[in-house]
Amino acid sequence: MVELVPTLLRQELERLAAEDQRIDGRGQWDSRNVSLEVDCLYNAEGSAKVVWGDTIIYAGVKFEIRTPWPDRPTQGSLMCGAELRPVAHRKYEPGPPSPQSIELGRVVDRGIRESGCIDMEKLCIVPGEKVWGVMIDIHVLSDGGNIFDAAGLAAIAALRTAVVPAERFDVGEDHRLLVNGSPIMASFTRAGGRFVYDPSEEEELGGDERIHITLGDEGHLHSLQKGLRGVFTPSEFAEILAVAEQKCTELREMVAEKEGN
Amino acid sequence: MGGYGDVKLLRDDGKRLDGRTVDEMRPVSIEAGVLPAADGSAMVTHGLNVAVAAVYGPMEAHPRKIQRQDRAVIDVRYNMAPFSTGDRIRPGFNRRSREISKVTAEALESVVLVERYPRSKIRVEIEILAAEAGTRCVGITAAAVALADAGIPMRDMIVGVASGKIEDTVVLDLDKAEDNHGQADLPVGILPNTGEIAFLQMDGDLSIEEFNLAMEYNFKAASEIHVLMVDALKRRYERGDN
Repeated sequence: MVELVPTLLRQELERLAAEDQRIDGRGQWDSRNVSLEVDCLYNAEGSAKVVWGDTIIYAGVKFEIRTPWPDRPTQGSLMCGAELRPVAHRKYEPGPPSPQSIELGRVVDRGIRESGCIDMEKLCIVPGEKVWGVMIDIHVLSDGGNIFDAAGLAAIAALRTAVVPAERFDVGEDHRLLVNGSPIMASFTRAGGRFVYDPSEEEELGGDERIHITLGDEGHLHSLQKGLRGVFTPSEFAEILAVAEQKCTELREMVAEKEGN
Repeated sequence: MGGYGDVKLLRDDGKRLDGRTVDEMRPVSIEAGVLPAADGSAMVTHGLNVAVAAVYGPMEAHPRKIQRQDRAVIDVRYNMAPFSTGDRIRPGFNRRSREISKVTAEALESVVLVERYPRSKIRVEIEILAAEAGTRCVGITAAAVALADAGIPMRDMIVGVASGKIEDTVVLDLDKAEDNHGQADLPVGILPNTGEIAFLQMDGDLSIEEFNLAMEYNFKAASEIHVLMVDALKRRYERGDN
């Protein structure tokens, strides 16, 4: 389904931006309310539910035992996929994975993978024979804007609370998955000519390009993605990066708090 | 119903492994209006099952070949999340989910006043987030609440319930072990006010007497769940958001 971009919405976003306002009354760098719930689904070895404004996303972690790649006999594997199913919005249609859902899964995957929070060597059971394959599936139930940040948060929270089901596969005792660090994503969309943090559905609809930044615990960059039509300047990027650092730190604390429970 | 006899499912005191009596349902909770993006939605937890349903529409039916001149079509997709089962499921439709989607759509078309919306389509999306036996029934119940939440006129609600047979005993609402090792499963969709049946499947082995008892259990469970469905819709409108 092609979404029409209403001219009136674009004009309104421009008018609001000129007055340093946003369509839902937030400040330029304000987030909507975020809530995180972990270990909420039977059968998933790790699970998380994120409610981020009107966006609702679940992530579930499953494990499988597989043979390692011949050139990496002591390394397990990690895969993160996303599904933008028709349940999530009237704009999503059934069918094979859309480019948008592939992009979402891959951007989240890169942030987790490149942060090194999962040590692939620790996923080895028998070198050359048996390793763990870790699969994170992101299930978007309601797209109310900024699904990237919500998906990234759900994925890392599910991963950090996952239990390796070794007993079920008869390879030892169940144990917590070792995760060193929490890569967190912060996303910005150009709405009304300027970037805003945590775009709402309307800001995405009437906005231009978006930028996704994933930062690790040390504040290092682990994944970047620019999507949709539009250009930005290095100084604009420097400005949103500074905002991202602060937002990612706050969300990382939220994940740590949930884990403690 | 493979594997009958290799697992003990009834305790010596006549109760089931999880302590339920033969005609006792797993705990059920229902919430309406859970997805902001949808026109109507519901979440049902039934035992450890979690099902979410979203309704979009009525909307233009496309492609045009699916249009019906005299009524709306209901387009149902029943889907299990990859992490909803013991072993991960590869995303995408399979034969099982296609069949369940088809018969669920036909059941819902039997209660929705589809004549009110000629040439249109009502999309019903059922997502199973956690599966512990009986997901098609939980999905039907969620879909009915979501349709009502969307304000779509219906002749009656429809409640998904199932009974079955374990160790030659008819029991209400099979759990996972009972489903895997039992002798029969009888899922039905019941219209709680009229007492009619809009969904029916069965597999296994039941005598006529056992079938009648299983149906009796199903009707009892349907009226219990119906109370929860109505209550969920009332709470949703008392809440009054979107």
